[in-house]
Amino acid sequence: MSWQAEGSRVIFKRTVVLIGALCVLTVLLFARMFYLQVIEGAKYRTLADKNRISLRHLPPVRGLILDRNGQLLALNRKTFTATFMPENSPEKIDDVLKKLSLLLPISDSEKTRIVKDASKVRPFMSVRLKDDVSFDEMSAIQLNIPDLLGVSIDESRIRVYPAKEYAAHVVGYVQLPAEADIIKDFMKMPEVRLGKTGIEQAYDDQLYGTIGSQRVEINAFGRDVRLLETQKAVNGENLQTTLDVRLQKIGLDALGEQTGSAVLMNVHTGEILMMVSTPSFDPNIFNAPLPDALWKSLNNNPKHPLVNKAVQGLYSPGSLFKIVVALAGLEGGDITSASRVNCTGALQVGNNVFHCWRRDGHGVESLKDALQHSCDIYFYQMGQKVGVDKISQMAAKLGFGAPTGVGIVGEKSGLLPSREWKRREKDDEWRIGDTVNLSIGQGYLTATPMQMLQMMARVVNGGKAVRPTLIKPKGPPVFESLGFNPYHLALIRKGLSAVVNEKGGTAYHVRFDSHGQKMGGKTASTQIRRISAKEREEGIKPQSQLPWKERDHAFFAAYAPENKPEYALIVAIEHGGGGSLTAAPIASQIMRKALELKREDEGKK
Amino acid sequence: MSLFLENKYYYKDTDLTLKERLVNLSWSYIAMILTVVCIGLAVLYSISNGSVQPLVVRQLYRVGFGFLLFAVLALSDLRTWLKYAYWLYGISLILLIVVDVAGMTGMGAQRWLKLPLIGQLQPSELMKITLVLALARYFQGSSEQDVRSWRFLIIPVLMMAIPVILIWRQPDLGTALMLCIVTVALLFLVGVQYWKFALLGGFVAIAGPIAWHFLHDYQKSRVLIFLNPESDPLGAGYHIMQSKITLGSGGLFGKGFMQGTQSHLNFIPENHTDFIFTVFAEEFGMFGGWFLLGLYLLIMVAGCRMALKSRNFFGKILALGLTVNFATYVFINIAMVMGCVPVVGIPLPLVSYGGSAMAVVWVGFGLIECVYVNREMILTRQVARTE
Repeated sequence: MSWQAEGSRVIFKRTVVLIGALCVLTVLLFARMFYLQVIEGAKYRTLADKNRISLRHLPPVRGLILDRNGQLLALNRKTFTATFMPENSPEKIDDVLKKLSLLLPISDSEKTRIVKDASKVRPFMSVRLKDDVSFDEMSAIQLNIPDLLGVSIDESRIRVYPAKEYAAHVVGYVQLPAEADIIKDFMKMPEVRLGKTGIEQAYDDQLYGTIGSQRVEINAFGRDVRLLETQKAVNGENLQTTLDVRLQKIGLDALGEQTGSAVLMNVHTGEILMMVSTPSFDPNIFNAPLPDALWKSLNNNPKHPLVNKAVQGLYSPGSLFKIVVALAGLEGGDITSASRVNCTGALQVGNNVFHCWRRDGHGVESLKDALQHSCDIYFYQMGQKVGVDKISQMAAKLGFGAPTGVGIVGEKSGLLPSREWKRREKDDEWRIGDTVNLSIGQGYLTATPMQMLQMMARVVNGGKAVRPTLIKPKGPPVFESLGFNPYHLALIRKGLSAVVNEKGGTAYHVRFDSHGQKMGGKTASTQIRRISAKEREEGIKPQSQLPWKERDHAFFAAYAPENKPEYALIVAIEHGGGGSLTAAPIASQIMRKALELKREDEGKK
Repeated sequence: MSLFLENKYYYKDTDLTLKERLVNLSWSYIAMILTVVCIGLAVLYSISNGSVQPLVVRQLYRVGFGFLLFAVLALSDLRTWLKYAYWLYGISLILLIVVDVAGMTGMGAQRWLKLPLIGQLQPSELMKITLVLALARYFQGSSEQDVRSWRFLIIPVLMMAIPVILIWRQPDLGTALMLCIVTVALLFLVGVQYWKFALLGGFVAIAGPIAWHFLHDYQKSRVLIFLNPESDPLGAGYHIMQSKITLGSGGLFGKGFMQGTQSHLNFIPENHTDFIFTVFAEEFGMFGGWFLLGLYLLIMVAGCRMALKSRNFFGKILALGLTVNFATYVFINIAMVMGCVPVVGIPLPLVSYGGSAMAVVWVGFGLIECVYVNREMILTRQVARTE
């Protein structure tokens, strides 16, 4: 019997150890429960709430963009998307697709995509079958719904630009936000489109409105259990712009095949009536995913169709800058109506010889003559007399070197050189040759067509610091006076009028008299490469014989009516050849039609 | 001594009447078990959002069936089990092999055997009982000297190893692990020296990394994700994260009966089977969890007490083995839902919805009661040898 007793003793001892182990394990699990439910309890309660409640966004309707007369520039069109919810269908997606393809065309690659999508989502989540189905297709589907269980038509909105390429740059377009642009949570939603360029981008916040939300209690499968709270979306504000869609069309048509831009502005209010850039594009293409080839061709095009050249193109203003030099001279007392310069076609300054565009010279010229003929020698001389400091100051007053703030994201500010600038940036002294170059708007100086237009407007509106705008101002705008002597401004306008209206003026060939309304202006052609002495001897080739990329840029800044300026217009043609030859006729055409339109509109009233 | 030889299985009168058996039953044990069963039914009622259909009703059928098994076994003669222990083990082993062969042709994990009448039979569940029976039968005739020798341990280790390898191949890591734990616990209880366990521990530490290579990918990922569940919150780590969220959000006192949000919104996968403890702990909080776990501990300790009351070695080992089996279920499941051990698919006995495991624990309780009812029975060493 001893073995039995012994065995019992051992098993008793060992069982006591076992019970002890069970108790220890239980206490450890007690402790773990205490840790999870009490110490970390708050954290898990927060996570539990997140689990339970899903925040869903309600997209607002984007505001409309209108032109000054209420014509739509951007609107939202309801579109219908065919979707499929596997849960509601007794059939497999392949069979549904087979039937559906009898009703609407679906490409094979799309079919593959749909089958793939369908395999990924949960049965109660829908799969996109086809975007933007036509009304006929929609009716066909709806008629056959009994055979197409699970297929439904969802409503959504796409942005439509009825003016198409006529207002593409200034109005801009919306697109799916790029990865880097996603700064708020709602931007991740599939239907969110953000303004990418132009007014759509600059006024995105206003146009977008405020997103609404729904708090929904969901279960682990994402199914709604019940609606907890709804915050309605606030639709975007409609935006009335200062643009005139008719002028957009006139402007774009006038530019034709040329590469460049044209902007028309009211000189008193700053309202931009027209802003076009060529080549243009149809912003509606960005509604659908852009085919790679198209995107590449748009991006790699040497004429940069996607760039708004009116605010993003930077050029030397050339002879347009003579207006600035003239005003600086008059205001500073260095130029008077009696000042005369004898133009012989060339001027020696230091070791360099500077030429006038007219090889045989203009003879003795007054300020008015110099503007009318765009005499370079006159401004070489006067520029030296006025000095870089006064020119620089005047240019700054007239808006060079700073963005105009017209309200387009990515507007360039250009470069207005000065003594300090050169010392700071180039670590070099300002030299007399620099002043001579600056006097005719060449050298370091660059500006956008928008800045050139603003300068012209400020000179012809009586010296008010007008600033351009694309949005209709609420009240009559008040712009501070720049304090110019009206007599000096009148002198300059006399010269600018002569450019167009007097024989010998550089734009005399484009003059018009439209019911007594005439135009004034200034031509400019800016070299984009230096003409060597050798070329000069051999005789300068006509611009038309040069390759496109080497031709001069051509500008014409105009205002009208000549006697009581209302509009200012800039036409900037890249590699146009010459301001007088290329830009002036386009400007003349646009201005005449703008005046006619204005008269028509006023007549109607 | 001759007396023992003459009376083959016992020397004291143990042909108890039915009345004597009923009197001998531990009614407090039954009461504790039924309390846990009621808690389980209440949780299922809550999961069904206050409906007895379909979970509670079906579970009641199973409880009824389980209780029937329990009653029959509790009132049975212990000597029957001693007599047929090896046979039952052999049958389970054959069934395991059948499943293994059939499984070669099937897809994925093959654990079920379809039988007429009984329906689905899981041989690995059967093995949890019959292995304990066979080991108890084996140690019934052993002396302390036997237990201390290496050679004597070869057979019990083989009895464990063969089914473990077969079940591992299915693959059902959880059950294989449970069989190992129960066998090691039994070896410990019969008096195998401590240093041998130390040796075993050392061996496991070395062999563990090697065994890692034989794990299936999904088993590896379970272990890895267990170590860092936040690394994959929507994939395989989802179970553990959601389980901890549900349990943790319960706090001290819980959200109240039928007020659990996570479990009711289906965030808990398998909320009525393996993860049912989280549902309970969400609604009844830490104190509720402690109460249920405490109840489980009481059942285990009662099982041990009943084993020690038995005057025969077979009964003691059988009852202790089955108690360890039950304890393994409880601790692995609760540790699993609290993120202490990897997810291995072991249900919470008596509470989780499901038939197979339920039947196993009821059979276990029935045999423990049977041991207790026959506690005065003395079985001899020779009996075992000559049988």
